[in-house]
Amino acid sequence: MNGTAVRNEFAKMRHLHLGLLIALLGVIMLGIGLFSSLGSPDFDRATQDSWNTLIGGTASGITLAAPLLLAAIASRQVDIEHQGNGWLMSATSGITPGGLCRAKFLALGLLVAGATVVTSGLLAGAGLLLGITAPFPAGRWIGFTAALLAVNLVLIALHTLIAARVENQLVGIGIGLLGTILALFGTAVPAWISHLTPWGYYALATASGYVDGVLVAVTPAYLSIAALCVIAGVAFLLLTRQFDRKEA
Amino acid sequence: MSLVVSTEKLTKSYGSRTVVQDLDLRIPEGCVYGFLGPNGSGKSTTMKMLLSLIRPSNGQVQIMGRPMNRSTRRELLGKIGSLIESPPGYGHLTGRENMRITQRLLGLNDQQIDFAVRTVRMQNQMDKKVREFSLGMKQRLGIAMALARQPRLLILDEPTNGLDPAGIEEIRDLLRRLAEGGITVMVSSHLLGEIDKTATMLGILSQGQMIFQGTRDQLFSAATPDVLIDCTHPSRAQQLFARHHQTTLENSTLRLPGADDRTTAGVVAALVSEGIGVYGVRRDEQTLEQIFMSLTAGGGL
Repeated sequence: MNGTAVRNEFAKMRHLHLGLLIALLGVIMLGIGLFSSLGSPDFDRATQDSWNTLIGGTASGITLAAPLLLAAIASRQVDIEHQGNGWLMSATSGITPGGLCRAKFLALGLLVAGATVVTSGLLAGAGLLLGITAPFPAGRWIGFTAALLAVNLVLIALHTLIAARVENQLVGIGIGLLGTILALFGTAVPAWISHLTPWGYYALATASGYVDGVLVAVTPAYLSIAALCVIAGVAFLLLTRQFDRKEA
Repeated sequence: MSLVVSTEKLTKSYGSRTVVQDLDLRIPEGCVYGFLGPNGSGKSTTMKMLLSLIRPSNGQVQIMGRPMNRSTRRELLGKIGSLIESPPGYGHLTGRENMRITQRLLGLNDQQIDFAVRTVRMQNQMDKKVREFSLGMKQRLGIAMALARQPRLLILDEPTNGLDPAGIEEIRDLLRRLAEGGITVMVSSHLLGEIDKTATMLGILSQGQMIFQGTRDQLFSAATPDVLIDCTHPSRAQQLFARHHQTTLENSTLRLPGADDRTTAGVVAALVSEGIGVYGVRRDEQTLEQIFMSLTAGGGL
């Protein structure tokens, strides 16, 4: 895998409407983040509650939209190889199937990372434009964004592998749908249950939450998310290397 | 004559099932090598082993005098164009965008891409999306992708599969032109008629084993066509040889199978000595298709 393979992945994205799907992810994050904040009784521009409601709303938006949209994004980018005999064509040009998966992950990861960071920035900007006077919690906001980004990347890696391994793309989309349910339940179940699936980590990434009915700032579960990243990264490398050894 | 491809006892097994067995391929430089065999005879598996897409269970592959293995694979693949299974091409992209992907992947310049596209005569179709291409156009685009790297060896797996007669003729013409340009072409087919006019060398595979390898003329001579004898008393002649040869009578012509030149001379001498006038001795004209069918025993064609 090399930079050329990643550049080619961007070239293959033409006409796949991935930009639309990624924009949709951003719009849903932004929309739900703003809508739920402005509609919340806790939204007080003068206190940290305003930022907390914005963080909570953003977390809800991404929990609702990301699992399915990330599955669809990865599926579209990988399915073209199944449809166009691309695995063999790349293999005979020196790019192994595992290398192709790694290139796809990097290309999609860059897009998703960009969308996550830009949307997060837009939300912070929107908060300031809405007249929030409470000090901007920069550290917590950056940590929250990084945690969301990490979970998004883990899911992109997972769905890239699923789409490559299982030719029927409905399987990956179905898993994405199931992930949405698990992500939504993640906010309502004990933290240890959220640790069991990658979708549950959206609940662990949030930087605000209700404790005894009061909205408070919380620290994202950085350690757990870092552990998820390490495990997912190692698994992704091992599995893509296994793809390399798989015979055509 | 230098060999572009040679294999020694090349074997591929999946569990107890042997798909290719002890294959000794010899592909001379600059030839069109027709790789023939019924469906399931191991042609695609062999081609994939040549390209190092699957590992042989036993034996070795030499490409351009070098062993094909993990360490040489990438470098050697840069000199081999290939079209394996279905033609490649991203349907949502245009022909030109597909070629650009190949160009970037292999680090080629615009001239190399233009040359490949013109060789397959696709220069006027490149702005169409590949999903709108006919099968023949997809095959030609696939060949252009394979040709773009200006390979010394081109490996094509059933490139005429599913094409209409005009499409088949186009591919034949293309193969001829490529060979004239000095490229060694290995082309597989399960239909002899599709490539026998193009191939200068033939390899016939049946149930994973090479049953013939050589030129068309060698194939003819290996098959030993029947001897047909016209004589004054055909019934008597048949009775005369009934004990020693499996002769048959066809419209007053005696058919003598499996007779070499010496046997034929002996038969004619025996007929003359018995007072039977011989006024015609010739070999039956067999088509390559008939020879191929008899060699592969009709193997599921």
